[in-house]
Amino acid sequence: MIQEIRFILAIFLVISSFSNSLAENEDDVSTDLYVIEGKVFSWENAGNTPWQLMTHVMANGGEYYGFLREDGTFTISNVPFGSYVIEVINPNYAYEPVRVEINSKGKFRARKVNLIQTSQVIQVPYPLKLRPLTPFRYFQMREQWRVTDFLFNPMVFMMILPLLFIIILPKIMNDPETKKEIEQLNNLTSYNMPEMSEVITSFFSSGEKQKAKTVKAVKKRQ
Amino acid sequence: MAPPILTIFRGNFNRFCIDSQFFQYFIVLLSLFNLSLCLYEDQVGKFDWRQNYVGKIKFANFDNVSQVKKIIVATEENVIAALNIKTGQILWRRVLEKGYAGRIRAFSNVADDELILVNGGVPAIVRYWNLTTGHILNEWPIAEQNPDRIEDVQWHINDGTLYHILPIYNSGVEVTAYDSKTGEKLKSRKISAPFISQETECVLASPYFICLKGDSSLAILFYINIFEPKSQPQSITINTIFGAGAEGPYRISLVPGNIAAISISTDNNRRKRLLLLENEPTPVPHDIDGENSVYITNFDDKKVVLELSYNDKITTVMATYLNENEPQSEKLHRIIHNDLYRPEIVATTCTCKSLKRYACKFLLSSEDHSISLLDKKVLWTREEALARIVAVEIVELPMSDRDQAIETEFDLKESLDVDSTWDVFGMLVRRLSSQANQVKAFIQAALGLEPQQSNQRADLVRDKFGLHKMIVAVTSAGKIFGIESKKGELIWQLRVPNIQGFSKESDQMVLYVQRGSRHFPHPPQCSLLAADKDTGSGVIFTFNPINGQALDGLTKLNYRVKQSMLLHVTTDSFLRSIIILDERDRAYVYPESATAVATSVGRNTYIFTVDKASGILSGYSFSYSTPQNLIANKVWELVLSPKNQRITHVVSKDPIERVHSQGRVLGDRSVLYKYINPNLVAIVTQGTSSVQKNTLNLYLLDVVSGSMVFSIVHKRTKGPVHIVHSENWLVYSYFNEKSRRTEIATLELYEGKTQSNMTVFSSLTTTKLPIVERQAFIFPASIESMRETITEKGITSKHILVALANGGVLELPWMLVDPRRSINPEMREEGVIPYMPELPIHVDGIINYNQSVFRISGIHTSPSGLESTCLVFVHGLDLFYTRVAPSKTFDVLKEDFDYYLIVIVLAALVISSYITKKLASQKLQKQAWK
Repeated sequence: MIQEIRFILAIFLVISSFSNSLAENEDDVSTDLYVIEGKVFSWENAGNTPWQLMTHVMANGGEYYGFLREDGTFTISNVPFGSYVIEVINPNYAYEPVRVEINSKGKFRARKVNLIQTSQVIQVPYPLKLRPLTPFRYFQMREQWRVTDFLFNPMVFMMILPLLFIIILPKIMNDPETKKEIEQLNNLTSYNMPEMSEVITSFFSSGEKQKAKTVKAVKKRQ
Repeated sequence: MAPPILTIFRGNFNRFCIDSQFFQYFIVLLSLFNLSLCLYEDQVGKFDWRQNYVGKIKFANFDNVSQVKKIIVATEENVIAALNIKTGQILWRRVLEKGYAGRIRAFSNVADDELILVNGGVPAIVRYWNLTTGHILNEWPIAEQNPDRIEDVQWHINDGTLYHILPIYNSGVEVTAYDSKTGEKLKSRKISAPFISQETECVLASPYFICLKGDSSLAILFYINIFEPKSQPQSITINTIFGAGAEGPYRISLVPGNIAAISISTDNNRRKRLLLLENEPTPVPHDIDGENSVYITNFDDKKVVLELSYNDKITTVMATYLNENEPQSEKLHRIIHNDLYRPEIVATTCTCKSLKRYACKFLLSSEDHSISLLDKKVLWTREEALARIVAVEIVELPMSDRDQAIETEFDLKESLDVDSTWDVFGMLVRRLSSQANQVKAFIQAALGLEPQQSNQRADLVRDKFGLHKMIVAVTSAGKIFGIESKKGELIWQLRVPNIQGFSKESDQMVLYVQRGSRHFPHPPQCSLLAADKDTGSGVIFTFNPINGQALDGLTKLNYRVKQSMLLHVTTDSFLRSIIILDERDRAYVYPESATAVATSVGRNTYIFTVDKASGILSGYSFSYSTPQNLIANKVWELVLSPKNQRITHVVSKDPIERVHSQGRVLGDRSVLYKYINPNLVAIVTQGTSSVQKNTLNLYLLDVVSGSMVFSIVHKRTKGPVHIVHSENWLVYSYFNEKSRRTEIATLELYEGKTQSNMTVFSSLTTTKLPIVERQAFIFPASIESMRETITEKGITSKHILVALANGGVLELPWMLVDPRRSINPEMREEGVIPYMPELPIHVDGIINYNQSVFRISGIHTSPSGLESTCLVFVHGLDLFYTRVAPSKTFDVLKEDFDYYLIVIVLAALVISSYITKKLASQKLQKQAWK
């Protein structure tokens, strides 16, 4: 969690609500209007960038707006009782939205927004303290030619492994019994591939130097 | 165990060697397909552009106090912004609440780098801004006294005190003072002014409150100083201002400027005179033309009236000094500038250069919403009309001159002749002559002898992939713009005087492309259908969308337009005609010469109308038309308004849309055929039900036969509703009041396993109702607008572009809102994602990345020449243009395609195959010798 110590000291105003003179009406429906307050914290290294200018607070998708003061505090005025989703709008950083509920008696409650289980209540402190979650990642990274990418490619793996086997193979082949077995098997399964054994034997005789050549020869034959 | 593995392995070995050869080739192949939806960071601004606007000026002021001189504007779009004085660019901008809740009511003079703004409805909010940085310093709400009369309330801000001035009929004026910074109520006073009534026309010209009573020559102006505790109402007759001979009706209005004055117009606004209200009301015995706009200010302790007249594109600024006994007029400027149109001065600033001459800057707001800064000449102009676009079309650019020359060579009509006669010799002559012309043109161009004949700009030609287009935008101010799509440059602009939208609530105007730019030598043609401001009857304006030249000019229709449509058939000159239905259900064809073409298809042509107020929908057929006259005949009528429901949306499909696949293949390899009815229209009604709960009804109606195909009710839901209707599906969003969240619902219509008609859909013969699949999803953001992508042949999958309230435009794959996403995991179909209640918002699907666009009113999509690519134009307060590829760009190479790599790989392969050939033959030779 990003902490901006500079702003921690800011003190929040006590919940303030004021009543409209119309509230004197006999109607049961309260027409009192309330003020939602809170503070938006900037991200690290916001420094001198005018982040307050790029950011604003929106209740219920633009029904009410709150603008940031220089220290990040905001007020949303003139809201009647009800439920409001408070979102911080910033093009570069994501903030978690908060639902603020004001009951008809003017009591405030702030909780996490849960759109699926709407009855679940996880309270958060009020006045709101809104901190940036993560920067938005709008862009995809361009693929770059990296050696590791090349080496860890499954195709390359499948190509290198047989090569390794070819190197290990002569050591196994030194054992005369296995050599015989292999030759037998080769004879059994040699459907039009006598060249292959030839290649390997020639490889054995001339050692590692001819490796590249062998590979090319094989290529050609296909 | 080891040997068998080895053998298998050896068998594969050869193949792997081949693989290794082609390995790099595979990488190349893979890289052809861009596997991600989003942009790369280096593509920023490559295909997209954004333009920010502020809207029509309501209040403005020069800020000379701060270090950086700027202009502060408050606009009709509920925006305050600071503009750079030299270039007109936006230094900062704050967008307030939408509509009534954010309306700016008062604006203080700029002082000490701070600005006080009153905005909103009841109760109003006072916001107090820092002008250098644009942050808010404080905000407080006013406890309003009388919510019904907010429109009558006047505001006055002076020296940090805000006065709320409420006139009370037949009684007086209530003045309440507040400390504008803290919101503390200072004092409240009631001043007796019994002359105020509903009939009086009142203005506040501080310190006086003036009301005009009566219309005849006996009209009297009452005035009272509202800041003087013991003041008494006084009066002055109109005759003392104008002398005898003036006739009503009179109008009074406040003169903008920094001296309190009002202007009184007479003789039907033919002339007006000023009344200065500084200490004592003093009339100015100087007649001003009623058309001219006035501004009052002082230059060096002299009161000066600035008068602006506009006549035949010439704007003249006249100054009249008032201090002398005989008012003298002096001409300050005379400007001929195309950007000015009936301008008004909204703010001035003067710097004293010498004793005699003043260097003054005037901020002008034209009637077409543009803002200009005038300082001897027009320094800059902002086209603020673009903040309110009402209709958009994206038109293809014409071919280049050279292509056109080739086109003339093989002119369609003549080539038909050639087909019949097969005149080989004629063809040869034509080809030779045209080639000779081309050579001549080439030599001339090479020698620079002759400038290009054509008046079109060299870069405004069609490109290979049809990505470069012309955006034609019609604004509510009646100004039409041609915007080039590559960089967003304004190519041309046209003013259509005195027009407005069809209805009061919306500025709706209709723009039709009658002829595209493919029919050389016929020029492309667009038509704007709107209503006349004075009479309300219809107006048609035709123009060339490429160069912005009026073609037939303004045609005034002598009837009100109820409905209009663009006919699908063309005349001989490739012009599609417009059918207009007037209020008495009579049909007209525009242009009239196309009547014969229209009547020839009248038998199969239908039109429908919706009356939102009464809820009556009716369908008309043109089958009774005679060859000379198009006659509309009502064939069905439907009343769709239960008492408390109101039609809010009528959405049909995009007429240029093509559906490529006729059905959907199911798991058992059978086909579920889509119900593709081009005549299907979605209608939404909103209102309250009997138990006072908001409900929303959606109807799907076949507008040819008038049959109801489907209807659905959503209880406890309210707007804003946004609908996308395309192919065989419908996506709409609403707010669920019970769960307090935005939801997106989708409907999909299928005919079933058999198709009623393979070739063409007929509303009259298809009686079977479609199978409707439906599903709803939670959408975790508020929606401002929605639109589907469209491509040329409809092969590419569809995405839904969703404009969010937080300024982003999200590209949502339709696959995610597929109503066949099954809740039951066992019922899963292939290619369908299992149901999840909440739709995710992927940040990489935000097509405008951090270029937020606010107050989006619409999204326009248009196919490009590439099947994969769709052009997107988002308009609202800001404009944003980009292109999207819903199924990735499968038909073009990626822009970072590595040509060198493929060349190197190919070359290496060729060389290595030669070398190995040599080596192999050598080896064979050696073996043969063994």
